[in-house]
Amino acid sequence: MTPVGLQHYLVLAAVLFSAGLCTMVVKRNAIGILIGAELLLNAANINLLAFSKYSAGTLDGAILALFVIVLAAAEVAIALAIFLNFYSRFASVDVDRGDQMRG
Amino acid sequence: MTALDLQALLPLVLTTATAIAVMIAVTITRRHGLAAWLCAAGLAAAIASIASARECAPRHISDLLVIDSFARFYSGLILAGSLVVAVLSYGYLKLRTDRHEEYYILLPLAAVGSLVIVCSANLLAFLLGLELLSICLFALIAYRRTGRGDLEAAVKYLILAGASSAFAVFGAALIYADRGSLAFGPPGLALSSPVALAGIAALLVGVGFKLALVPFHFWTPDVYQGAPAPIAGFIATVSKGAVFALALRYLSTENLLADGRIIWLLTAIAAASMLAGNLLALRQDNVKRMLAYSSIAHVGYLLIALLASASLGRPAAAIYLTAYFLASLGAFGVVGALSQPTRDADALADYRGLAWRRPFLAFTLTAMLLSLAGLPLTAGFVGKLSLVFSGVSSALWLLLSALVLGSVISIFYYLRLLAALFATPPASEPAISSPNTPWPTTAALLFLTVALLAIGLWPAPLLDLIQKMAVAAW
Repeated sequence: MTPVGLQHYLVLAAVLFSAGLCTMVVKRNAIGILIGAELLLNAANINLLAFSKYSAGTLDGAILALFVIVLAAAEVAIALAIFLNFYSRFASVDVDRGDQMRG
Repeated sequence: MTALDLQALLPLVLTTATAIAVMIAVTITRRHGLAAWLCAAGLAAAIASIASARECAPRHISDLLVIDSFARFYSGLILAGSLVVAVLSYGYLKLRTDRHEEYYILLPLAAVGSLVIVCSANLLAFLLGLELLSICLFALIAYRRTGRGDLEAAVKYLILAGASSAFAVFGAALIYADRGSLAFGPPGLALSSPVALAGIAALLVGVGFKLALVPFHFWTPDVYQGAPAPIAGFIATVSKGAVFALALRYLSTENLLADGRIIWLLTAIAAASMLAGNLLALRQDNVKRMLAYSSIAHVGYLLIALLASASLGRPAAAIYLTAYFLASLGAFGVVGALSQPTRDADALADYRGLAWRRPFLAFTLTAMLLSLAGLPLTAGFVGKLSLVFSGVSSALWLLLSALVLGSVISIFYYLRLLAALFATPPASEPAISSPNTPWPTTAALLFLTVALLAIGLWPAPLLDLIQKMAVAAW
């Protein structure tokens, strides 16, 4: 059995990133899309931490990951507030309800 | 950190302090006028702190920020743009929501995000600035909550900005893997490695989204249409200008243009933006959407300066962006000034015969549109001329022919709006009857028009300033 190394983390991050991207494309529910965006950010975080430990050897990546966690939380807070307003307007969080603008 | 570092950081500190001061003032008393004036005064003080800075040597503040004359020039542009947006917003908000005050907290915070982007010397600082800008913009786009499209616009911007900044973080991770640090600058990236190339591509998605370049432009018309008119102006100018300055700095510190593949990629994106932006604008009857598509084309033009040699490209970018800031803010300012409490004046019919009803606004809009079209005697002409010079000197013939073609197409739709302005007014009741323009809005529009014509007639002072500030090597 091989020990866990950089490649394992990168594969995990790639799978998470693809899953997040698929979620964002396929889901019509705003909360689902938000979860997809979180998956994307966390995939990037895993990459940052793995590179920080295995290849770069500096702490830059770990520090950026720490900031990204905070940024993601702030983004979710604003996003949920906007979705709440969206829900009270359209009585649904289906993003396809907002389709007044075309052209 | 020394006193000189603090002095260099003064614009950032003052802008942040503005947001905090407005926040405290709002907790004490909720008055629209007070919040607006505090915000405007704080931004003006930040501009003054740039102008008064004597020392022009680049200062590195930890590894994250660098304050050099390039950063100072673009900081000044961003703060001036934010100040104009704040003043225009005062008249706009007065008619609309009942909660005005928080707007003036979010606006300086968005400006801080843009300043951090412009001053960043590190991908960490860039990503922080980008997110600060985005998060404030989500709230500002949805601010009215009563309009027809604002929540829809906010949700669209939120989802796409979230995805694009995740791409940027992912790209930063890959670049970090390649070079072991997040700081910009030498030693350059080893672009032969697929990891670094993938990182650059992912970063380009994040930057391209904010600049609304062609494969990433789908959000632009909807967000501009749904957002309050001054905020649409902010997104078109301040947010794009900041990210463009960052792209300029990043490309040259990393020496990315040495790689032929990146040049081809940027050339293709630029040509596609110019043509698609202008062609899609032709079909629009909605003025805000038309301005959105034309802004896509304008950033496409700007990429010529990015690809041209640094000695001519950097001043050309600074001149063009200045002209674009003036004209775009002015155009969105007029849209905001004409808007009714229930809806923004975005239909072409709202502008029919405007010259006979509201001559000042019609004259302002005429000047702005002529400048956007790049006709002589306006700042837009000086900008376009220097872009063409920089393109010719670097023999970017493909892009220059796209620029000429795009400009010809653009004259058609700008003239269409101009013709509506000067058409005989309809005999029936005008489609839109807005109250008188408040004086701060008039003053801001007058300032933009005068600056636009002054730069068009006598560009020497601006060119001198730009030669001194925006060209210096870092």
